[in-house]
Amino acid sequence: MDIQGVTIVRDLDTEDMVVNIGPQHPSTHGVLRLVTTLNGEVVKDMEPVIGYLHRSKEKMAESRSYFQYQPTIDRVEYLSSFYDHYAYVASIEKIAGLKVPKRVHYIRMITMELNRISSHLLWFGTFLLDLGASSPFFYAFRDRERILKLFENITGARMMYNYYRFGGVNQDAPPGWLDDVRTVINELPDRFDEYEAIVNKNPIVVDRTVGIGILDRQACLDYGVTGPSLRACGVDIDLRKANPYCCYDEVEFDVPTSEEGDVYARYMVRMEEMRQSIRIIHQALDNFPGGDTAKLLKLQKEYEAAENEIKEAKKRVMLAEKAGNEPDAADVAKSQETAPQLDDDWKYQGQKVNLLVYKPPEGEAMTLVESPRGILGCYLISDGTPKAYRVKWRGASFSNLSVLPPLMVGNLYPDLMAIFGSLDVILPEVDR
Amino acid sequence: MSETPQNPSDQDQASEPKQPEHRKEHAESAKPAPKAEEEAPTPPEPGKFGQMLREAGLPFTPLGEASNGMEMIEVLSEHLLDVGRFLRDDPRCRFDLLLSVSGIDMKDYRMSVVHLYSLYTHETLVVKTKADGEEKVQTLTPVWPAADWHERESFDLMGIVYEGHPDLRRILMPIDWIGHPLRKDYVENDPRLVWNRR
Repeated sequence: MDIQGVTIVRDLDTEDMVVNIGPQHPSTHGVLRLVTTLNGEVVKDMEPVIGYLHRSKEKMAESRSYFQYQPTIDRVEYLSSFYDHYAYVASIEKIAGLKVPKRVHYIRMITMELNRISSHLLWFGTFLLDLGASSPFFYAFRDRERILKLFENITGARMMYNYYRFGGVNQDAPPGWLDDVRTVINELPDRFDEYEAIVNKNPIVVDRTVGIGILDRQACLDYGVTGPSLRACGVDIDLRKANPYCCYDEVEFDVPTSEEGDVYARYMVRMEEMRQSIRIIHQALDNFPGGDTAKLLKLQKEYEAAENEIKEAKKRVMLAEKAGNEPDAADVAKSQETAPQLDDDWKYQGQKVNLLVYKPPEGEAMTLVESPRGILGCYLISDGTPKAYRVKWRGASFSNLSVLPPLMVGNLYPDLMAIFGSLDVILPEVDR
Repeated sequence: MSETPQNPSDQDQASEPKQPEHRKEHAESAKPAPKAEEEAPTPPEPGKFGQMLREAGLPFTPLGEASNGMEMIEVLSEHLLDVGRFLRDDPRCRFDLLLSVSGIDMKDYRMSVVHLYSLYTHETLVVKTKADGEEKVQTLTPVWPAADWHERESFDLMGIVYEGHPDLRRILMPIDWIGHPLRKDYVENDPRLVWNRR
């Protein structure tokens, strides 16, 4: 092509250049090193070097008791650690055969779905920040903050929750918490509409995401990619539907999928997933076993008072019989009654276990959970001692990251931000 | 260590995924907790996928069920590829997603445990393989390329050598690390490492 006497050559080959991205790089959201071979601006080869955040979480499990290990789980995946906790706790519950009350399942469902929204919101903000849009970051964090406030109210922590226990949760939802959740999730869908209005048709976002980083079903399977990235290729696999855990079989929701498999499709799937999460939370709040805690506490007090009355009556009858008198007929009738009890499904802790020296029987279980990033697994082997024999985390990010080199090869170097961001990889989960 | 098939009746039915009827029956008939040292007199009956493997004439040992109802089988390293191809391609199994490869130190020997998932039947299968005296296990990368990083991790942390793996290097630990940290006999602050010398 000649422009004003200057010849411009397309597809100009240059000498290969190796560029080292990271380990400290703002777009990797963690510590990831990418050894990239570039031909001009086109990526010829890429090799992720991981392990910079390896904190030996799996080895730590073998030197701590089951309960002592729990706080460290939060650090495996700090953006959605309810899921990691659920996978760990459910593995132990399955090995030990602990009965979990329905109220606990519902609390877990609500917290996990809120966690999915907060995790996706953070992804939404940072992903667009990587693409150069800074306003969505502030909007997303404003809403995420409200969800973190809810978490703080129920667990006592904004990030490191450590809330689930074997067969229950740490404490019941505080009075009025369910209403707070309802207020927040009633407002969120409008916000999502706003976000989509400013992002979906934005020419810069569309130019940088549509048709870029296309994954297909076979590539996903070849690299073990799961979660929204797999659903964006048209595979409607969601463990909440396929192998329901908690009480996901009692709620209705759709599994959003997309056919394109590109960066934009992954974005759309995640946005739709947040709406489905809200649908699940609405249903869970409506069917919440036992209802609000304030009501439950009142009921519990009434039942305790009734039980005390019966005890008193029994005492009076006994004293009268001892003294040889005829006991009062009303007292006799009262002492025959049985006090009403709270439903077992309304408790926030099933069978009480001694947490500090908890010993599940021998056995092994792998719990699979649909985390915001994909299939999360906790493979736990117990040998009957107070310490786990082996804990293995199947982090979704670990497999999702491995697909990055084939996705990047042949693409332009600036697309790295869009493609890597769209996979929603979180490095602490990769390195564990 | 031994695998303990739990009776599903005392498990929390609400929290676990629904199991098909035949697997429940199988779990009830399974003998509880045969200990590895005591030489289990009667090995557990093969489950649903075990029956399919038996019909296809592939060698394996049934191990009963895990506590959450996943069927477990043990396959010798030399038969791993054949069994893997059957499990992936047979229209009744179609285990197309390899979830994880975990190395486990059984003190006397190392074991490689593969968790498989099927996007069609939504079933899970656990395939265990003992490493031989030289810590060698056949790689599964020709069948499931997704095993690549997982096997590297298992090699790195447990020292299982996957024969035929295209790129078996350390992945989480530094390249010049000595020893395999997840082994039970691993020594902390190994003096062979430069930074531990005083």
